[in-house]
Amino acid sequence: MLSRVLTLLLPFALLLAGWEIYCARTGASPLILPPPSRVLTALWTERAAIGGHALSTLSVAALGFSLSVAFAVLTSVALHFTPWAERALVPVFVVSQTVPLVALAPLMILWFGFGLLPKVLLVVLVTFFPMLLSLLSGYRQTPQAFCDLLAAMGAGRWTIFRRARLPAARAGFLAGLRISATYAIVATIFAEYAGARQGLGIYILSAKNNFRADLVLAAVLVSAALTLTLLGILHLIARATARGPMDRSDA
Amino acid sequence: MLELRGLTVSAPGRDLVQDLSLSLPDQGITALIGPSGCGKTSVLKWLAGILPVGLQAEGALHLDGRPIPRPHPALSYQPQSDALFPWLTIAENATLGLRVAGMGKREAQAKVVPLFDPFGLAGTEALFPAELSGGMRQRAAFLRTIVQDSRFVLLDEPFSALDAVTRIRMQRWLTDRLRERPRAVLMVTHDLHEATGLADRILVMAAAPGRIVADIPVPTPQVRRDEAAMAPLRETLKSLLLEETPT
Repeated sequence: MLSRVLTLLLPFALLLAGWEIYCARTGASPLILPPPSRVLTALWTERAAIGGHALSTLSVAALGFSLSVAFAVLTSVALHFTPWAERALVPVFVVSQTVPLVALAPLMILWFGFGLLPKVLLVVLVTFFPMLLSLLSGYRQTPQAFCDLLAAMGAGRWTIFRRARLPAARAGFLAGLRISATYAIVATIFAEYAGARQGLGIYILSAKNNFRADLVLAAVLVSAALTLTLLGILHLIARATARGPMDRSDA
Repeated sequence: MLELRGLTVSAPGRDLVQDLSLSLPDQGITALIGPSGCGKTSVLKWLAGILPVGLQAEGALHLDGRPIPRPHPALSYQPQSDALFPWLTIAENATLGLRVAGMGKREAQAKVVPLFDPFGLAGTEALFPAELSGGMRQRAAFLRTIVQDSRFVLLDEPFSALDAVTRIRMQRWLTDRLRERPRAVLMVTHDLHEATGLADRILVMAAAPGRIVADIPVPTPQVRRDEAAMAPLRETLKSLLLEETPT
């Protein structure tokens, strides 16, 4: 366990040490590249302000992500039972993913104002697709023998879906969830960056405008911590709901 | 008695099985053997009501003289793999057929759990399939099939994935369980030793298109079926298969 933690932390420690040494040796301006020690000091000094903004970002990301999960599950079920709709709509979803976030975020603000709605919509839009795709692919990859067995027992399409396809899609869905969770915080920050009253995005923008690279990096550090927290929560949920050794290894 | 009449299974451009008819009495093991690709599994799957997508079939199934739809509760099917759901415990897997048929969870568990001991599965109720050996998994799959209380059991190469020793043990185990709970079994197999060791009757299929070319009763009692006693029958079957297999 200890060696696992050390292996995980070592690259970060080396990176930070290298960065610190580089700043000290080259005398790089802290306005351009502050050393990690300065970033940490700034984070500690501004902890109340950054904490408030982080909480706001986390609430928007959590709300958007939860809605996205529900929407992805419902849509995947609907598309599974209507293959023509899957053929028609999946290309539309694919195209929606090609729209750059940097263009989409200001448009959302323009259309829906500075409130919660545009940010939540942006998170849903960005995180929905990986989950939908992983679910649809999981349903399709269910071993045929499982479906045959249930059909021979007299099960209809819904029973086959509920008893075989849905549980078989679990591992793929968890992978999609993890990918989406990493996008959720980034998408929220992007939306806030385009226009908001609270949140890490607007905090980063204002710190940048004040030439406070240390605060920008402190906020980035917090956003990474938020993403890792979200991933940690997903890991705990996956472990708590695991059924059997295979599920536990997927978690 | 179960009767299959005039089954033709076609893939685009060719018949896999042509005008095949067979009947199964209410007890005993019938082995269906034949060269690869002769349509043995297609026949079994058609009976189970799960013909693969892309194949078309015509034929009629009668139970005690009356036509019946497929799938039908009088027939239970065990696929080639044990098909145990990895996310269900062994007890949950064993009750799957009963649950699908609409039985409540508690009632299904109450019916299945007492059978764990006679099936050599005591103590595995709460385990998951990945925690069991190949032989134990096969027993669990067979328990799932047997508790459905169907009159006819369709087994698709049930022991093909097992090593030689486990296979022999499982064959003996199967005959013992069927002696306790008599069922009519239609078993697809490639293994002539398995067919001559277990079956009361052997149906030989030829390929291209699949059809039954021999119906051979095996009157030798199970206890007297040693290697030497069954060797002549195996030779007969081997000759038949070689004759009917295109080179």
